[in-house]
Amino acid sequence: MRIIVGMKWVPGTTSVRIDPKTGTLIREGVPSIVNPHDMPAIELALQLKDAYGGEVIALTMSPPPAIRGLEYLIGMGVDRAILVSDRVYAGADTLATSYVLAKAIEKIDKEIGKVDLVVFGQETIDSSTAHIGAQTASWLDWPYIYYAHSAKLIDNNKILVERVLENAIEDWEVDLPAVIATHMKALKPRPVRLLNKIRYKVEKPLTTWTNNELKLDPRCTGLKGSPTIVAKTVDVPEVPRKKVIYTPKDGEDAAKWLIKTLMEDEKASKALIKALKEGGGK
Amino acid sequence: MNGLPDLPTKFDVIIVGAGPSGSSAAYLLAKKGFKVLLIERGRGLGDKNLYGGRVYAPPIREVWPQLDKEAPIQRWVTKERISMVQGDKAITFEYKAEKKISFVSYLTQLTQWMSKKAEDAGALFVTEVTIDEIVMKDGKAVGVRSGPDFIEADVVVDAEGVNRLLLERLGIVERLKPDNIALGVKEILKVGANNIESSFNLNPDEGVAWVIMGDITKGLPGGGFIYTNKDSISMGLVLHLKHSIDFIQNGKFDEHVSKLIEEFRFHPYFKPYWKDAIISEYGAHLTIEGATHFMPQKFAYPGLLIVGDAAGLLLSTGYTFRGVDYAVYSGKLAAEAVEFARNNGGFTYENLQIYDKNVRSSFMYNELFKHRGAEQLMNDPILMSKYPSILIKVMEKMFEGEYKQETVYDALMQALKEEKVGPFDLISQAFGLVKSI
Repeated sequence: MRIIVGMKWVPGTTSVRIDPKTGTLIREGVPSIVNPHDMPAIELALQLKDAYGGEVIALTMSPPPAIRGLEYLIGMGVDRAILVSDRVYAGADTLATSYVLAKAIEKIDKEIGKVDLVVFGQETIDSSTAHIGAQTASWLDWPYIYYAHSAKLIDNNKILVERVLENAIEDWEVDLPAVIATHMKALKPRPVRLLNKIRYKVEKPLTTWTNNELKLDPRCTGLKGSPTIVAKTVDVPEVPRKKVIYTPKDGEDAAKWLIKTLMEDEKASKALIKALKEGGGK
Repeated sequence: MNGLPDLPTKFDVIIVGAGPSGSSAAYLLAKKGFKVLLIERGRGLGDKNLYGGRVYAPPIREVWPQLDKEAPIQRWVTKERISMVQGDKAITFEYKAEKKISFVSYLTQLTQWMSKKAEDAGALFVTEVTIDEIVMKDGKAVGVRSGPDFIEADVVVDAEGVNRLLLERLGIVERLKPDNIALGVKEILKVGANNIESSFNLNPDEGVAWVIMGDITKGLPGGGFIYTNKDSISMGLVLHLKHSIDFIQNGKFDEHVSKLIEEFRFHPYFKPYWKDAIISEYGAHLTIEGATHFMPQKFAYPGLLIVGDAAGLLLSTGYTFRGVDYAVYSGKLAAEAVEFARNNGGFTYENLQIYDKNVRSSFMYNELFKHRGAEQLMNDPILMSKYPSILIKVMEKMFEGEYKQETVYDALMQALKEEKVGPFDLISQAFGLVKSI
């Protein structure tokens, strides 16, 4: 089987701070990581390779620092990685991103070898849209299954995908090639292996494709190819905090102090009384 | 064997840990044409380092002559300050130095610079890999194992740092004991370069190293520190673990360390230096105290050399800490020993023992033994709270008299009486202190 697995290189926190003056993300001091929800997808791809042979190719569209993430995936056992990176892909929304990814997958299919399966994570921790899997499948016109927990080959061109939902477990037979997205809790990823890391350094199984290779119409990529319009961002101003530290003797003391302190404040006391009335409290 | 044919599974030297000691050894050996594998557990290069502080340059320049020009140096330390604090009161000494002996740096950046150089010199450098064991065969280290993978080497250099899990597993050292360990907690406060230069009265690439004694640690043995980076201040506390545990068990102390550093940050004497600052980073790290007790019995074993913090090569005198330069220098000695062995008939234990010999005859070993009483004295709670207290009282009596001011002599005698210290005790204890620090 030839399996492609998608990866996104994201800021390693869910609480990225926003510069109150410029409204942009403060990336400083926030190291990037492999999107944690991609990990089950990578693990699933590697398990399928362990079971049926073939190769796993990691794919990302990103500026070059994502190479560190691709190195991590190769450390886990991915055979090779492709970084799709070009200035004309910058500023893409999910539609323009999935378009470039789909075109890269088509190129892999044509030039490297027939692609059987594409696996994505459920969503990313920095934007949480869960669009990429579905959109990529649409561009490719391949079947798409999401919330996948496991998959196995049932004959040469069919897989059985298990979805675990809140109130049901579903088994789907899907014709290959197909796109699946794993559930964020589906599988625990394997650790990196020393020999795989040595292999990365010795063989450098990493290819970069720019738009010179993909030859896409720049009107369909990056900011230009992104119909999403951010109409307005509401900047929630930072509330000046009093920053009082009180060390209570016990829970009762803490509650008493809190109520007393809140009641001394005009705004807080009003809000507190309102909340108590609405909540039917005494 | 590994299912990955054509990959190198045998190296001349495997170095575990890409901190200052491991990177230095890797750099020197790779330059000499050895086939080197440098393995780092952290994600980036030297991710496990927290130290953002002062580094002494001269021993490092012996390995890295390009240090002054190329390394990520924040500021050269040209001002030394020592403060004694009691409550809101403080006495500060300042020394303006002339030579560029030490600099302030983030150790993560410095080790990244070093390990990058090692890789450029030809060392194979892998990150994010934890080594599970140093593999021994017939009493000799023959390689390392990580999960299912075994990689062979003629020599293994253990540069794993202060938490010596690999050496513990080999039975070469015991588990960490609180007696030999101090806990460092640190915050980095962003204040801007201009603010630093105006508030500390510094030229653009100059910096301050500041040691704080007295009740900044609320009576716990240890002290505070402040270092100036380019546009931020590193501040924090170092607490001796053994005594801290005693204090907590005896009910003399029951606050969390995070609260101690918070109170330091809000201290009226220091707070103006970081007015309106943003805390950009915080963290904690272990450091060695009482290095002479922490050292392994030998620095060289068959097939195995121990360098840096793992070898206990860190000097703490209470007012200075030197670990990074010692680490680099021990990495240099290890690299030289490996080269010596190659040129003298092979990597036998006999040949590698030259490393042990050279460490013991180096300035590091000498210094560590010269200052070995210092930690004990510096961690003596009575000594460390009483003397600052006496000095503060003297100052108070001299300068805070509303109508009358005491002579220095009277002020000192009154302060000694109040603290129940005889003048002769003072002289003999002070002599003991001066002798060892």
